[in-house]
Amino acid sequence: MTQRLNEDDLYRTSSQYRLWSFSPESLATLRRKTHELAIARASQYAGTSNSSDGDAFDCLTSEECLRLVRRYLDQTRTTSDHFKWPITVKATAAQYLARFYLSNSPLTYPPKEIYKTVLFLACKTEATHMTLSEYARRISTPADEVLAPEYKVMQALRFTLDVRQPYRGLKGVLMELLNLAEGRVGEVEGVETGGAAALQAEMLGLELPSKTAQTMWRVRDSGKVEGKALVDRINAAYSAARTILDGPALLTDAYFLYTPSQILLAALHLADEPLTSFYLRTKLPLTSDLRPKILATIAACAELLGSFSGSQVLSKEERAALERKLEGCRDPSTRDLVGSHAVAKRGTDGDEEAEEKARKKKAARDKALKEGDDLFGPSLNGKG
Amino acid sequence: MATPPALDVPPEPPSKRRKTSPDPPSRNDTPDVGLPSSSFPAVADLAEQLDDQERKKYVKGKKLGSGQYADVFSAHLVSDPSKLVAIKKIKVGPEVKEFGISYDSLREIRFLQELDHPNIIKLHAVFSTKNQNLNLVLEHLPQGDLLKLIQDTGGITYTAADIKAWMLMLMRATHFCHANGILHRDIKPNNLLLAADGSVKLADFGLARAMADPFQPMTYNTITIWYRPPELFFQAQHYGGAVDVWSCGCVFAELISREVLFRAWPETEINMVKLICEKVGTPTEENWPGVGKLRGYVTPAEIVPLKPRDQWFAAFRAVGEVGVDLLIKMLTLDPRERLTAESVLKHEYWTSDPRPSKLRDLPRKGGGENTMGQDLTQRGGELPQTNGGRGDRVARKIDFGAGK
Repeated sequence: MTQRLNEDDLYRTSSQYRLWSFSPESLATLRRKTHELAIARASQYAGTSNSSDGDAFDCLTSEECLRLVRRYLDQTRTTSDHFKWPITVKATAAQYLARFYLSNSPLTYPPKEIYKTVLFLACKTEATHMTLSEYARRISTPADEVLAPEYKVMQALRFTLDVRQPYRGLKGVLMELLNLAEGRVGEVEGVETGGAAALQAEMLGLELPSKTAQTMWRVRDSGKVEGKALVDRINAAYSAARTILDGPALLTDAYFLYTPSQILLAALHLADEPLTSFYLRTKLPLTSDLRPKILATIAACAELLGSFSGSQVLSKEERAALERKLEGCRDPSTRDLVGSHAVAKRGTDGDEEAEEKARKKKAARDKALKEGDDLFGPSLNGKG
Repeated sequence: MATPPALDVPPEPPSKRRKTSPDPPSRNDTPDVGLPSSSFPAVADLAEQLDDQERKKYVKGKKLGSGQYADVFSAHLVSDPSKLVAIKKIKVGPEVKEFGISYDSLREIRFLQELDHPNIIKLHAVFSTKNQNLNLVLEHLPQGDLLKLIQDTGGITYTAADIKAWMLMLMRATHFCHANGILHRDIKPNNLLLAADGSVKLADFGLARAMADPFQPMTYNTITIWYRPPELFFQAQHYGGAVDVWSCGCVFAELISREVLFRAWPETEINMVKLICEKVGTPTEENWPGVGKLRGYVTPAEIVPLKPRDQWFAAFRAVGEVGVDLLIKMLTLDPRERLTAESVLKHEYWTSDPRPSKLRDLPRKGGGENTMGQDLTQRGGELPQTNGGRGDRVARKIDFGAGK
């Protein structure tokens, strides 16, 4: 019965792995299905005012929908930063939004509305406290608009709220590298090393980061890396990687396609490749069968993160243009979320007890009304 | 009832129409795709379809318990009536206006979705209903909880081997949470439910949280007061799994002596610190370097030295010297010195005699399935039936004796 689980096994039990990890193909298929469903609906409700069939109906393309969502992923980031919320809130919110739009289309639920709900939800699940009224005030949105789509969001998230993130892992790598640089680590589990001093010497002799590397660190004129400079190099690689995790990692499909550790190693790889390769050598024996596969995965993730540029995020004008177009083809039945939310709250769902309660309340109210209205005064037994 | 609806009268709202039969199909059940005039969002997107499928898998039965925060129902699978589950329906309270879905429910859902372990209550599914209630489909645990077992001193006897078996299951659950980066923060006997086969299941993740990143502060106002470790009374904002290990130590002691170890009365923080000083020793710079720097560090003026080993042994001899050694290490004042859940599991207690009891030999009946109903409807951090206090707990015991 006893089972030993390693970190990989544990990760595979996470909802992020079970429900929210995809191959590029399955991700594309899912998005296509969602978009097709939305377009099919759109042509139906548009059909009532437009006699031609759905094809003539001018609507956002799948690509445009994706770009609009990405714009709001960015908006989610900047809003979270504006509130100075912890990084975990930001990443969780961005991922909630991305996950929401795997099964929903912007045509049905425009991201302009959803991102506010998602951010407030992430703030709650990540134990950051801000009251709804303060949040609503600071984003200049009525509180009920923030709450109305909350259940819809929970449902789209399939009631899984945990988002595994690369930040703590990156911090762990930073600490390990600093310890190695200071000659404090000689033994690395499962990997043969020449001891602490040899590792330290190897680090000092590492190749310099390439010209295209994203680290800000540059070696001094002498070309020789001394102890202090090595620490600087590590810190600079960390902050460059952090910047990548804060931007491209949240704005691309990285979280859907890769694990948190793959993402952080890819970011570090883009920041300072020789340093990252060294770090991986201390973890992965050169002889390991898994090594080529792991390196290829990290390289592929780095490719995804590295190819992202800020120009892929819509400008304000482009966004406005897309949203105007969206107005013309959005689903009318989801326009009034606040209204339908209120209706849903008032209704009951066949739960006997709630009904019982409502019935009693109504009976009491009817009775009181009746007594009040009764022309001849309340009945005698009413007085007891 | 049978008269046809008059055409000029608006249709009744769905709630009125549904009284006639237990589960009548509602007009709103099927998305009216072709009718844009529908006032409900009639979108059956992929997530909604899945949610709907989940909901239809279960048949709700009798209510097991009702609290301020949730109702718990017994239920079974439509496809197999022998497969029981418990459905915890989260109540929508007045705080919804200020927060939306409550922190407690979100935490519970978040963490239980991630934890799949034989000693942690299983969350099979979550679904929502049309009027936006969250329903948690949980493992059915019909044997009550450890608290009821501990308190039934007249009816139930158990052995040192039974205690070892229960504690082992508790520690495995705790270690599993920590290995997943989750702090439970409310370990206590009435959150330890008993399954039909006698195994212990850690429940109620309403106060749980992910371990914080370095330097990120956490609240110290957590864990039911009797099970709260000294560092939280001293307002430490950075802590780890050690807080849960202290609570586990309290449960261990309570299983042995069948009374709450630190039962401050009235249950104030200052009384709790006093009790911990009396029973373990006063936290000082010697036994806990740096404790004086904690913001809330206050202890009674008279310093009690750490309780010597033989006194611990005298009080808890039932688990033997090895067991007492483990207990002392779990109730170490300095959280950095306290054993981690993993090192607790590596302690020699588990492999020394007696061997932990087999599941089938463990006493059960910690109150039956209604106890599950009561436990699951409680809000985290509360003492059992808080408002009644002492009298209530006595009443509970008598009540239980009468029921037997």
